[in-house]
Amino acid sequence: MSEDIIRIRDLSTRFFTAEGQVNAVSDLELTIERGEVFGIVGESGSGKSVTALSVMDLVESPGEITGGSIEYRNPAFADAIRDTHPDAVDGELVDLLAIPRETRQSLRGTSFSMVFQDPESSFNPTLTVGEQLAEAVEVQRRASANPRSTRARTNRSRYSLGSYVLSTVLPSQRYVTDESRNRAVELLELVGIPDPVERADEYPYEYSGGMLQRAMIAQALAGEPDVLIADEPTTALDVTIQAQILDLLSDLQEETGMTILLITHNLGVVAWMCDRVGVMYAGEIVERGQLEDVFDRPTHPYTKGLLGSVPDLEGAGGRLQPIPGNVPSLLDREMPDRCYFADRCPKAMDECLEHPPEFDVEGSDEHAAKCYLAEVEYTESRALPADYFELKDASETDERPVAADDEEPHRTGSGTGQETETTPAGDGSTSGSGGDSE
Amino acid sequence: MSTETETETEAEAEAETETEAETTTKVEIDAEAETGSEQPLVRVDSLHKYFYEKNSIVDRLLGEEPVAVRAVDDVSFDIHRGETLGLVGESGCGKSTTGETLLHLQEPTDGAVEFQGRNVFELAGRHLDRFRRSAQVVFQDPFSSLDPRMTIGRIVQQPLDVHSVDTEADRRDRVQNLLEVVGLSADQFDRYPHEFSGGQRQRIAIARALALEPEFVVLDEPTSSLDVSVQAEVLNLLDDLQDEFDLTYLLISHDLSVIRHVCDRVAVMYLGEIVEIGPVENIFAEPKHPYTQALLASVPRASTDEKERERETISGDVPSPRDPPSGCRFRTRCPEVIPPADLEIEQSTYRDLMNLRERVESRELSLELVDDGEGNRIDGSSGRVGNVDVTDERTGDETRAIVGAVKDRLFSAGDGTLPGRHDEVVTAALEAAVDDDWQRAAAMLREEYESVCERVNPGLGEEAHAVACHLYGDPDELVPGDRPDGESNVGRERDERE
Repeated sequence: MSEDIIRIRDLSTRFFTAEGQVNAVSDLELTIERGEVFGIVGESGSGKSVTALSVMDLVESPGEITGGSIEYRNPAFADAIRDTHPDAVDGELVDLLAIPRETRQSLRGTSFSMVFQDPESSFNPTLTVGEQLAEAVEVQRRASANPRSTRARTNRSRYSLGSYVLSTVLPSQRYVTDESRNRAVELLELVGIPDPVERADEYPYEYSGGMLQRAMIAQALAGEPDVLIADEPTTALDVTIQAQILDLLSDLQEETGMTILLITHNLGVVAWMCDRVGVMYAGEIVERGQLEDVFDRPTHPYTKGLLGSVPDLEGAGGRLQPIPGNVPSLLDREMPDRCYFADRCPKAMDECLEHPPEFDVEGSDEHAAKCYLAEVEYTESRALPADYFELKDASETDERPVAADDEEPHRTGSGTGQETETTPAGDGSTSGSGGDSE
Repeated sequence: MSTETETETEAEAEAETETEAETTTKVEIDAEAETGSEQPLVRVDSLHKYFYEKNSIVDRLLGEEPVAVRAVDDVSFDIHRGETLGLVGESGCGKSTTGETLLHLQEPTDGAVEFQGRNVFELAGRHLDRFRRSAQVVFQDPFSSLDPRMTIGRIVQQPLDVHSVDTEADRRDRVQNLLEVVGLSADQFDRYPHEFSGGQRQRIAIARALALEPEFVVLDEPTSSLDVSVQAEVLNLLDDLQDEFDLTYLLISHDLSVIRHVCDRVAVMYLGEIVEIGPVENIFAEPKHPYTQALLASVPRASTDEKERERETISGDVPSPRDPPSGCRFRTRCPEVIPPADLEIEQSTYRDLMNLRERVESRELSLELVDDGEGNRIDGSSGRVGNVDVTDERTGDETRAIVGAVKDRLFSAGDGTLPGRHDEVVTAALEAAVDDDWQRAAAMLREEYESVCERVNPGLGEEAHAVACHLYGDPDELVPGDRPDGESNVGRERDERE
């Protein structure tokens, strides 16, 4: 089954903040096949979470998807939508960015659903876990009854101001039918929670972190989604619990045949779970391919650096090979038109001053990298001088009043958290950048 | 490093340039010399740290008993000069509390910590001053451990000010020097922490810890809030600094690959106790304690062989430190929990039975709403079958149905039946539970299946690679029926296989 289920073309997501435009995701290309586990790996600030939020349509102001297309293959949905939005439909594929927001949102749960990083903050502490799961089931039930108008209908009649006021006086449980509640218990059982009947009546604080993550997966499965997006699903958990959750995700994927888009910073988790991988850096995928391509035959110096900085569990000590510098600022005005990695790259050449397109690399058909090294051999003669970017930065800082002011790590966009954090240009070995070089 | 014995000097002469080889040799010699005259830099002796809940005046007046959270429960280990001891475990196992208590940042409940031969908790005056200067700490989160209103120069200089080292001008020089040592630049003296990235901030925290030229530094998860590439830089830096200043580290981390990379010896903690301690190579190559084994098996490796790797992961969560399990604390999750000697049973079945016992004893076994297979839901606790109220007299059939359903649920591997006599015992116990006689149910199961692991808490041996597990104990001491009363010395096993 190598049919593509999601096809992302030239996706750009930008955040318009007081400091300027942040290019969280730029011109991202990504194809996810049905039934596979696709991993996106990268460091904090590389744009991997924003990519997930863009697919889910959860990007909030000041963020905005500014361009590109996200095509989703679903014949039934394509038929339903064809009459009203012929432009958006191409065969079985529907461009999600070309249909109205309400319609797109009706796909949440039934087509796409998401598991977030921190289960403790993702549940409402004032409702029982069973209630919250039952709510998800109820919403999916109504959504699947009428894919296009559910949102509008529930907005008006069920979730009106009147019923909101009522629900503050009366218990809100009347939204949820017994049927949904029973389904919630089944879901809890499916994700391996012992005594699901009792557990459903407990509040989130009574669950441990691992249990709550299981409950969140159960909630995501309520609508039997085609694609499950798991954003750092195990980062907040201990290793033994992480192993349990990864096993659970593998089992569920095998049983239901759903597609998983797994976002993580942990290369070990990728190796455990994924069939194909994309390595993200500064808002774009710099290398992609089968797991073996990327792990055994990395081409991009960033991928190599990432693999080299992981301490090995099997082998003896020895020195790690860190990548000098830091994840770059994603502010538009600080992203020159060159390879974004060039200033940290040990093999930067003259070519790298121009932004590289994606090249095919040896390995499987899908192995590709955005790096000139895929085409040209590295030669000393064309190498950039070691202090090239420091000198350039220094000359730039003269023009700006206080370089430090906009280097402050800050958060942009309420829902996007650390992924849009911008950090100062240099760390440690490149600390010559910034104000100290005058 | 000032701990050289004669043999060690020889060894070092051979491997003078090879830092790695040197450390390895040194560890082995340290281990051998342990019983000798050599004195460890830090000696932790049965350290306890309990936190008390419900301990306010109001609670006292209401007659509530304080609840002890046993964060650190009888922990002993030595740290030798120049080595890095790793303390690894899952969240809540007490590793950070151990680190804080041994620096006397927390008041201990019991036990002693000797630093250079003096008990840290009894220090005062000049000696306390000296201890504070020679033992330092680097905290996990560089975003909250640096005062945002102070320049980094002042942050690093503060320890020098507090201890009135040198003149003002000298201190400033020294701080600028320190900033360069940790890979920052001296003219960043007047910048504020917010201008730095996570990795740089951690460098500042390290510079602050080094300001007073300590001998011993506790590193409490120094890299866990950093990205891998930045983490690698910080780890390399810590390595260089250790060589340069002859530092002794206690590295607290949950990340086994970091521990593997940095440490000479490792102590594995679980629920406030050390379950295994030894040289890093031994712990990683031949882990003995089932918990260490499970921990290692759970770590995903960044390699393409990862999918094919056989791994045995453990189920369940860490129990609460408020009421830790009796005996060995890992027994509630242990895949190798030891059955009574006269019991013929498969390990996996025994594990299932122990899980059942656990739930019967805590009365967490669900008897409500057990599906009877025909779409009817039998409510075991209130005695309802479907819509029919049978509270008065539950028939034998219904009890059997409930018991059968519970067995189906718990022993799914063997299609709900247990081999031979076990089936009878379990059925009888479950019937008692359905009759709401939980105590009797628990007693019936205990009589049949009580394990040595729950009676006796295995002690940690004295060897270089010591493990606190009955699997490595003296089998003669584990004869069932021979019940030691309370905390006897039976648990102090020696590891014969070493």
